Amino acid sequence: MAEAFRRKGDQILGRMAAEERAVVIDLLEQTAEVLAPPQRAETGDAFTDLVASMGEKHDPEEVAERDPVLRRLLPDGHREDSEAAREFRDATEGSLRRQKSELLHRAIDALSGIPEKDDKVRLTTEEAVALMRGLADVRLALGERLELRTDEDSEELHRRLMTAPDVPDDPRLVLGLYYDFLTWLQESLTLALMPR
Amino acid sequence: MSVAPPDQDLSLDESTDVEATNLTDSGWVTIVWNDPVNLMSYVSWVFQTYFGYSREKAEQLMLQVHQDGKAVVSHGTRERMETDTAAMHSYSLWATFSRDA
Repeated sequence: MAEAFRRKGDQILGRMAAEERAVVIDLLEQTAEVLAPPQRAETGDAFTDLVASMGEKHDPEEVAERDPVLRRLLPDGHREDSEAAREFRDATEGSLRRQKSELLHRAIDALSGIPEKDDKVRLTTEEAVALMRGLADVRLALGERLELRTDEDSEELHRRLMTAPDVPDDPRLVLGLYYDFLTWLQESLTLALMPR
Repeated sequence: MSVAPPDQDLSLDESTDVEATNLTDSGWVTIVWNDPVNLMSYVSWVFQTYFGYSREKAEQLMLQVHQDGKAVVSHGTRERMETDTAAMHSYSLWATFSRDA
């Protein structure tokens, strides 16, 4: 059973059971997969590939047809001016994907390698920040699948979960339970990391 | 390295004037929009951490996003606002840049 994170000196300490860690790692991995850049012919030279990925052009039609989860994770930078939004995406999307993917993998690494029977999670500040930010992306992805569009939708889901059985039949509520657990986890990390 | 062009007509016409203004025009803003997923505590952490705002200012902006649906979180040149918008996206907040209305 998970216990809230707290700061102790340089470390952020909490408790998560092995099954809870496995669920979180799985969801972080799925989110990283969604964010993985589309396959591009790689030259094998890291620098050339990096340069090739910069200033990449994005077809507005391809962007419009994307999975809503990906659209939510990589939103438009301008609301009215589609030309400005396109330029912004060309200039930023590649590095945004790389940055998010790096954070998600750092979070996965931080939760991996803890012995099965141990439920103590000890994180450095950097690891805790990566996990907190990674969870923000996972929750956006789950929130999109749960069709949470307004604050009222979130409150309504929370209310339904309060009265739901421990193992709900409704798949949406199962997803909701994960979402609720991640909400609690992210809140706990955020409070432990809050500047004083 | 480059050299200055040979003597030419150096008077600025209207178009060069506009270009020069754009680079230093600080009439742009970054807006963060409300969403049902991001946590109030987390949004406040992002504003304190990225912009270096005090806890009080960060919480005030966070509440404005929550209650009004959006808040202007920074002002500056278009280039600077695009940087801030991309940073907000990296923190999973929904942000846009636009001209200060």
